[in-house]
Amino acid sequence: MRTVSRGLPLLAGALAIAYPWLVPNYYLVYAGALTVMYAAMSTSWNLLGGFTGYVSLGHSAFFGLGAYGTGLLVVRLDVPWLVALPVSALLVTLFAAGVGIAAVRVRGASFVIVSIALVSMMNLVVQGWRSLTGGSTGLQVPSPFPGLHRGQTHLVFFYLFLVLLGVALLAWWQISRSRFGAGLRAIREDEDKAESLGVPTAAYKVAAFALSALFVALAGGLYALWFGSLDPIFVFSILIGSSMVLMSLLGGVRHLLGPLLGALIVAPAGEYFLIALGETQIHLTATGLVLVLVVLFMPEGILARFARRRAGPSIPDESADQRLQGVSS
Amino acid sequence: MSLLAQGLALGVLTGGLYALLASGLSLYFGVMRVVMVAHPAFLFLAAYLTYTAHTVFGVDPFLALPVTVPLFFALGVAVQRLLIARLAPENVAMMSVLLTFGLALTIEGLLGTFYTGSYKSISMDYATRSLTVAGVHLPYDKIIAFLVAALTLGVLFAVLVKSRFGQALRATIQHREAARLVGIPTERVAGHGFGVGLATAAAGGTVLALITPFFPASHWVWIGKLMAVIVVGGLGSVTGAALAAVLLGVVEGVVLVTVDATWATMMFYVFLFLALLVRPQGFFGGRLAHRF
Repeated sequence: MRTVSRGLPLLAGALAIAYPWLVPNYYLVYAGALTVMYAAMSTSWNLLGGFTGYVSLGHSAFFGLGAYGTGLLVVRLDVPWLVALPVSALLVTLFAAGVGIAAVRVRGASFVIVSIALVSMMNLVVQGWRSLTGGSTGLQVPSPFPGLHRGQTHLVFFYLFLVLLGVALLAWWQISRSRFGAGLRAIREDEDKAESLGVPTAAYKVAAFALSALFVALAGGLYALWFGSLDPIFVFSILIGSSMVLMSLLGGVRHLLGPLLGALIVAPAGEYFLIALGETQIHLTATGLVLVLVVLFMPEGILARFARRRAGPSIPDESADQRLQGVSS
Repeated sequence: MSLLAQGLALGVLTGGLYALLASGLSLYFGVMRVVMVAHPAFLFLAAYLTYTAHTVFGVDPFLALPVTVPLFFALGVAVQRLLIARLAPENVAMMSVLLTFGLALTIEGLLGTFYTGSYKSISMDYATRSLTVAGVHLPYDKIIAFLVAALTLGVLFAVLVKSRFGQALRATIQHREAARLVGIPTERVAGHGFGVGLATAAAGGTVLALITPFFPASHWVWIGKLMAVIVVGGLGSVTGAALAAVLLGVVEGVVLVTVDATWATMMFYVFLFLALLVRPQGFFGGRLAHRF
């Protein structure tokens, strides 16, 4: 059992690295890169949503800001992309920490409202600030690899997103084993009790909020360099934010690999819809219905079901007599 | 000065409409403690149904109301009984937002598929002129919107205050367990409360169709605006929401004529954040927010 649980992640990692060489065409490399991008984003969403239970529908604000930050640094200030990407992500993290101080003061439904309002505000600002951002016509970002053709660019970005996903997973895993993670979980279970037991809830929530914004902003920056053209209505759409929520919920927010599993299901399904049905709006309906079904019937996610079945009852099923024998021997 | 008067007058008229559009949200929050993100999507569903009635059958938009209002009442009851009531009670606040968010996406997708993504609008002859009082132009469509909103809200208040159903509904909002103890079937009342809330969306959608062009994604803007109205007004208070609606309508109107449209919309979010930071229970209503 132990070797299996050790070997499985290694095998999955090797498969992920080999993926672009196993598929027959560049379209599938592109779809793979997109899926890995969503996986990285929902894993970082889960740094906040999974640990603290604060559901943010507005993480596309950080995605969009990361994308525009990177794009503007490259286009307007001629900063090399390798510098622009982390600088922009750090700026977004600082911004998120500032917003977080205000946003995490409210709980439950009010927090969700605030997160929706945040995206709408950013959308307004970017569309309104025409002289800097190009307004609703969008922003063109030059490719960081002008020598490569389109397919090779997909290949490079597949690996870049894979690295980001790895780092996000590592961060989640490290936090889940730390005192910080235990504090965040205490906030999810009962915030007032956690506070009274001495967990610095406000600081922890802001830290989780900013950290999860950092990885989403990095994904946004990579997206800007990858696609080369930014449309404010798309990057600040509430749909991107809700995809992160849907993927995480579907996979299971309490599990390291839950958001990744959700992304592996939802993102290819979305691409398939796009091919099968063309550019219609019906994919919104599909996303909406799946979200409704998940919330109604499976709010704990797929992994929670499997974990429960495999682990069995948490108290061992043995008689008092058997237990006494175990103690005496 | 006349510019300011213009902004003020338009603001009051629009504020009246906001009060109607937000009244349903207050009801949902009152009866179920649910933030119904899909309310604006239902508004535009009503707007599109009105549009169909107008273009296919050639009837006046307001003649669609006898059909859409009962239909939306039934939809509201169904949403509450079949979906919201099934959620686990310990996490209903978060999960209901996600659930209604899913509904909003579903409706938007259906509207986009059936009506395409392009702008639609209904223009009636009587709605295009404007009335001039003391140098202030008041467009007739805005006046009509205000009157319909005032009328609908008047009926809503009369029902809530005078009728037995209204008393049961208010009792359910104030204290669910106590209401059940005195024999009120709170489950059914909550369902009907949702129905009434969605019925206001039918009326509001018809008015919206008359005064503004719309497309399937229009509802996102309104989520922010209407949430700002009910949070500033105090979640769950219909009166507070009405006062906040007029206040925000006036602020929007004045900023619109003195600065620009971006800042006018931004004011809603500014007020939303201010309200959450300074007075999370809302500026009107306060601790008695759940009473009328």
